[in-house]
Amino acid sequence: MTVIELNLSLPEVKNQWQNFLQKLGINNFSTAEIQQLDLTLGLYEDEQLVATASAAHNVIKYVGVCQQDSTPGARFNQIISELTSRLYQQGIFHLFVFTKPQYSLSFQHVGFKQLADSSQAVFLETGTPDIQDYLAQLPQVSQSHPQKIAAIVMNANPFTLGHRYLVKRALQQSDYVYVFVVNTDASLFKTSERIQLVKAGLKDLPHALVVNGGDYMVSYATFPAYFLQSGQDVVRYQTTLDAHIFRDLIAPACQISTRFLGSEPLSPTTAIYNQVLQQELPPKVQVQVIERKQSDSQKVISASTVRQALAHNQLATIKDLVPATTYQFMQEHKALLETRIKEGMRINGN
Amino acid sequence: MAETKERLRRTMMFVPGNNPAMVKDAGIYGADSIMFDLEDAVSMNEKDAARDLVYEALQTQDYGNAELVVRINGADTPYYHNDILAMVKAGIEVIRLPKTETAAMIEQLEADVLAAEKRFGRPEGSTHLMAAIESAKGVLNSPEIAAASQRMIGIALSAEDYTTDMKTHRYPDGAELQFARNMVLHAARAAGIAAFDTVFSNMNDPEGFYRETEYIHQLGFDGKSLVNPRQIPMVNKVYQPTQAEIENAQNVMKAIEEAKIKGSGVISMNGQMVDRPVVMRAQRVMMLAQAAHLVDEEGN
Amino acid sequence: MEIKETAVAGTLESSDIQIMITKADQGISIELESDVAKQFGQQIKKVITDTLKQLDIDAAHVKAVDKGALDCVIKARTIAAAQRATKTVDTPAWEVL
Repeated sequence: MTVIELNLSLPEVKNQWQNFLQKLGINNFSTAEIQQLDLTLGLYEDEQLVATASAAHNVIKYVGVCQQDSTPGARFNQIISELTSRLYQQGIFHLFVFTKPQYSLSFQHVGFKQLADSSQAVFLETGTPDIQDYLAQLPQVSQSHPQKIAAIVMNANPFTLGHRYLVKRALQQSDYVYVFVVNTDASLFKTSERIQLVKAGLKDLPHALVVNGGDYMVSYATFPAYFLQSGQDVVRYQTTLDAHIFRDLIAPACQISTRFLGSEPLSPTTAIYNQVLQQELPPKVQVQVIERKQSDSQKVISASTVRQALAHNQLATIKDLVPATTYQFMQEHKALLETRIKEGMRINGN
Repeated sequence: MAETKERLRRTMMFVPGNNPAMVKDAGIYGADSIMFDLEDAVSMNEKDAARDLVYEALQTQDYGNAELVVRINGADTPYYHNDILAMVKAGIEVIRLPKTETAAMIEQLEADVLAAEKRFGRPEGSTHLMAAIESAKGVLNSPEIAAASQRMIGIALSAEDYTTDMKTHRYPDGAELQFARNMVLHAARAAGIAAFDTVFSNMNDPEGFYRETEYIHQLGFDGKSLVNPRQIPMVNKVYQPTQAEIENAQNVMKAIEEAKIKGSGVISMNGQMVDRPVVMRAQRVMMLAQAAHLVDEEGN
Repeated sequence: MEIKETAVAGTLESSDIQIMITKADQGISIELESDVAKQFGQQIKKVITDTLKQLDIDAAHVKAVDKGALDCVIKARTIAAAQRATKTVDTPAWEVL
C-alpha cells in the first residue's frame, strides 16, 4: 500500500484517475475545476488505484474510495490522512470539504466538524483556526439591555454609496449592524483593500461593526460543483449552505435577529441568492430587502459600474457613486488597478 | 556479550518506524529479531515523529524475547545524531548502520554511541552494533567492517542498493549476489558475528522464497531479513533441524554431561573424542530444535 | 516552552492519533475526537497534558483525532507535535523525555 502524488497533466494518469472516479459517480471533470487542483494523491494496492483525494488550496475535492476487499474506512482514512498531513506540512492548517451528505460521517470520524448541511451537500472543516475561533474574535455588542442587532454581507468590490445607503437604512431600524466583508480574494480589489475602504466609508457610523467574513461566507469562488450532477443548480446549493451557517452559527453568536439585503435587479445570481436567504433564514433570522439606491442621475449604483469606469479610464464619471475615501483610493492606485485588469482580473460579476 | 553473539537470528523482521499499528504488533509474530526502521521506510518529513514513536514504544511495549534492533539514518544525514541519542537512551539492544562502506564508519558510530551511553548513564558497551552492506565497496571492506568493534554482533547484506551499485538488478536465481553473499558471510564468520541475508520482497512467490532461504541456509547464514511477518514461519521451517540431527545432538549433549559428572576434560562418544566444532554444532541444533518446539527446554 | 507556530504530528490511521498544537494565551485545552472518548477520553487527555507539562509547555490548544492509539503512541505524537510547534525538532530535550 503506497500513496503517491498523481500528475494529472499526464494524459495516461488523468484518464486512469478520471475512470476511477466516474465509476464512483463523480462526473464533472471540467477544465475549470481541475485547473484549481494543487495536489492529487492516489492510494495503490497491488498496482491498482483504490483511493484518491485532491486539494484546491485548502479545499479537499475529488475524494473517491473503492471499499472492495478492504476494512471499512481504512483506505478513506489513509488517503485523507496523507492529504491533510501534506497540507499541514505546507502550513495550510485550516481545511474544508464540500461533499455529498452520505460521506459526512466518514469525514467526522477523522476529526472534521460539520458546519452546514442541505439535502444535496454538506460543508465540513478541520484544523485551526476553526469556526469557534472565528466567532470568538468577533466584536460583541453589550447585552446589558436588549439591543436590536442586524447584519449585512457584502463583497464591496469596491465600497460604494449604494453599500453605505444599505448600512444606513439598516441602522435606522437597528441598534447595531455587523458588516461582514467577504474574505475570498478573487476580486479586483483585494480583501484587505475592500475592508479598509468599507471601514473608511463607514467611519462616521460607530454602530456599524465592520468585520472580515472569514471563511464562513460560502463564496461561489470556493464552492466546488464537481460532485453535483451537471445541470443542478450550483448557486442554489452553495447559497443554502451559506444561509445555514449564517443562521445556525454566526447569527446566534452575535445575537443577530435581522439580515438586510440589497435588491438586485441586474444580477440573476444575486437574485437567486436573495431568494434562498429569504427562504432559509426565517424564522430564526428575519430578512429585509432594501431597494437599491439610485444616484442623482437616476443610475443604479453598483460596484460593477465603478469597475467598468475604471477599466475604461472614465473614473470621473463615477465620482458621485462612491464615498470620497473610495474615490481617493482609486485615484491613488489607478495604475495598480489597471495593471490587475490587464493581467486578467475579471471586472464583471460581483 | 557472548550470549548476545550466540543467540538465534533466523528472522529479522523490518517494521516501519512511523507506523503505530505495526510497531505495536511487532512482537506477536515470533521473529527472532525485530528491526524498527527509521531510515528508508520513513519519509523525510516524518523522521522526528518516527524516532519519537520508536523511542516511546521501546520503553513501554513488551516484545518478549526478540532481539530489538533499530536501523538509524546514516551519518551523512541530519537525523543521525538524534537517532543515536534517542535509541541509546531508550536502551536499544542493537543499532544497525545503513550503507556501511568502511570500518571507520563503525568506529565513528562506536564513539558516538559511547558518548550517548555516558550522557544518559547507560552501561558502557551495552549498545551493540551491526552493519548493513549495500555497495561494492562495503562488500570488499566487509572483513574490516565486521571486525571494527567489540560491539559488533552481525552484518547484513542489503541487495537492493548493492545490485544497483553493481549495475544489475535482482534475478530469481541470485547469481548476481553470489560473491557478495559469500564475502559477507566469510567476513562475519571470521569475526565471530552473525550474517543476515537480504530481503525477498515478492510475497506472491512462496516457492522462490523457499528456494532462496534454503540456499542461504545451506551457505551458512544465520538468517534472513524479512518485510512481511508471513515469511517468519517459512524461514523457521527451513531452519528446523531434522530428527537425525536432533538425535545426534542429543547424544553429544549427553556425552558432555557425562564428562562433566566424571570431571573429565575430554568428551568422548562411542569411543571417539568429540572436538569443539562438533560440540558447537550440537549446541546450535539444540537451540534450533527448542525454538521449533521439537524438544523441550531440557533438550528431551 | 513557548508554542511558536501551529504544528501537527501523527496520522488518521488505525492505532494512531493526530495531534495539532496551536498557541494559547494560557492553560492547556484539549479538543478530542475519538470513537472511544466515553471510556478513554479522560486518560487520553491526561497523557497529552502530562507530556506537555514534561516538556515545560503550560499554554497550548490541542486538537486530537484518536484512532485507538496506545498511551505510548499518544505520548510520542504529542512530543513530535510539540517539538515541531516549539521549533526544537533538531535539539530535543532528551533528558526530560
